[in-house]
Amino acid sequence: MKFSLACQALILAAFSLLPGVGQAIYFRDKISWQSPVPASEMVTVVQARAWGGNAIWVDARPDNEFARDHVPGALSLNEDRWGELLPLFLAEWSPEKKIVVYCSSQGCNASREVARRLHNEAQLKNVFVLEGGWEEWLKKK
Amino acid sequence: MKTHIFALTLSVIICITARAGLKWDQTMIELHPTAADKQAIGHFKYQNAGSKPVRFKSVRTSCGCTAAQTQKEEVPEGEKGEITATFNIGERTGTQVKTVTVETDDPANVTTVLTLKAVIPQQLEITPTFVFWGQGEAPKPKTIVVRAAKDFPVKHLKVTSSSPDFQAKVEETGDGQFKIDVQPQETTRSIASTLTIQPEGSPKIFYATARITTAPAAPTAPTPPAGQTH
Repeated sequence: MKFSLACQALILAAFSLLPGVGQAIYFRDKISWQSPVPASEMVTVVQARAWGGNAIWVDARPDNEFARDHVPGALSLNEDRWGELLPLFLAEWSPEKKIVVYCSSQGCNASREVARRLHNEAQLKNVFVLEGGWEEWLKKK
Repeated sequence: MKTHIFALTLSVIICITARAGLKWDQTMIELHPTAADKQAIGHFKYQNAGSKPVRFKSVRTSCGCTAAQTQKEEVPEGEKGEITATFNIGERTGTQVKTVTVETDDPANVTTVLTLKAVIPQQLEITPTFVFWGQGEAPKPKTIVVRAAKDFPVKHLKVTSSSPDFQAKVEETGDGQFKIDVQPQETTRSIASTLTIQPEGSPKIFYATARITTAPAAPTAPTPPAGQTH
């Protein structure tokens, strides 16, 4: 009886693994649509707010979404007009300040891309991506 | 009893054969736009292989830079169509992956994720695109390295500074690489300059920024008195 129960449990466990294995095989050649950002470079709304005036907020969303509403004091820096907006951002930047980049929501990728370019191309330090983006900021307002 | 079995079998067959379903030619498209292209457009073709019409409930894109359009709201059985995904390149570079999430009323396949991958050529790689000095820091030159892509040969670079407070000298280091030495005249006040970088014979212009920040210079290790050794 005990053996039978153990067998059944093992069989059930094996079945539960199947979808995961199948997905891993199916998506093995697919690439992630989110730029990898180390967990240490992600920041929550609460953490970023605690930085107060030591943080520069960067809005990576398109111009129309920024125009509709944005984090107070945030600067617009999106990849549609990167060459034009980057000098405006750099004029406000200061080495001791942390940079908090956000886009629409958890699923968007624009903040990761902007953070990557600020870090790799402009070689700025202390660049963070806001977890949950604008949606999360609104919730915690 | 026989009637029951027949009815059950028939209903199962009807259920299976009446299943609607969009069959996609491909759910991932890779595009290679040229440097001059402003948009990359992917056509995701499908056919309703089922025996029921399929209705699109929603089509969402992962980025404000991408728009997706369906040709019709409902796809009758057997009909073909496509979803057009238009990615506005803007000033993006490198490999860009955008997704379109399609929701239908097909219970067998409610959600389909279509992936548009665009490989945007990067003609020049400029590192870093920003150089700065703290106020009071020694006005020593800082170097920007420019690498031309293999399929974008560059013989000469023209670099101009928007402000006379900064000087930029270009030196070719070979193998499609250049070195731009940027030097401020002084670092006592907050000033900035946009450096315009233009490859010879190309209409494309690239930019870098040089700036004296208001923050004081980072402290440096004290210089030991002459003659003192460690």
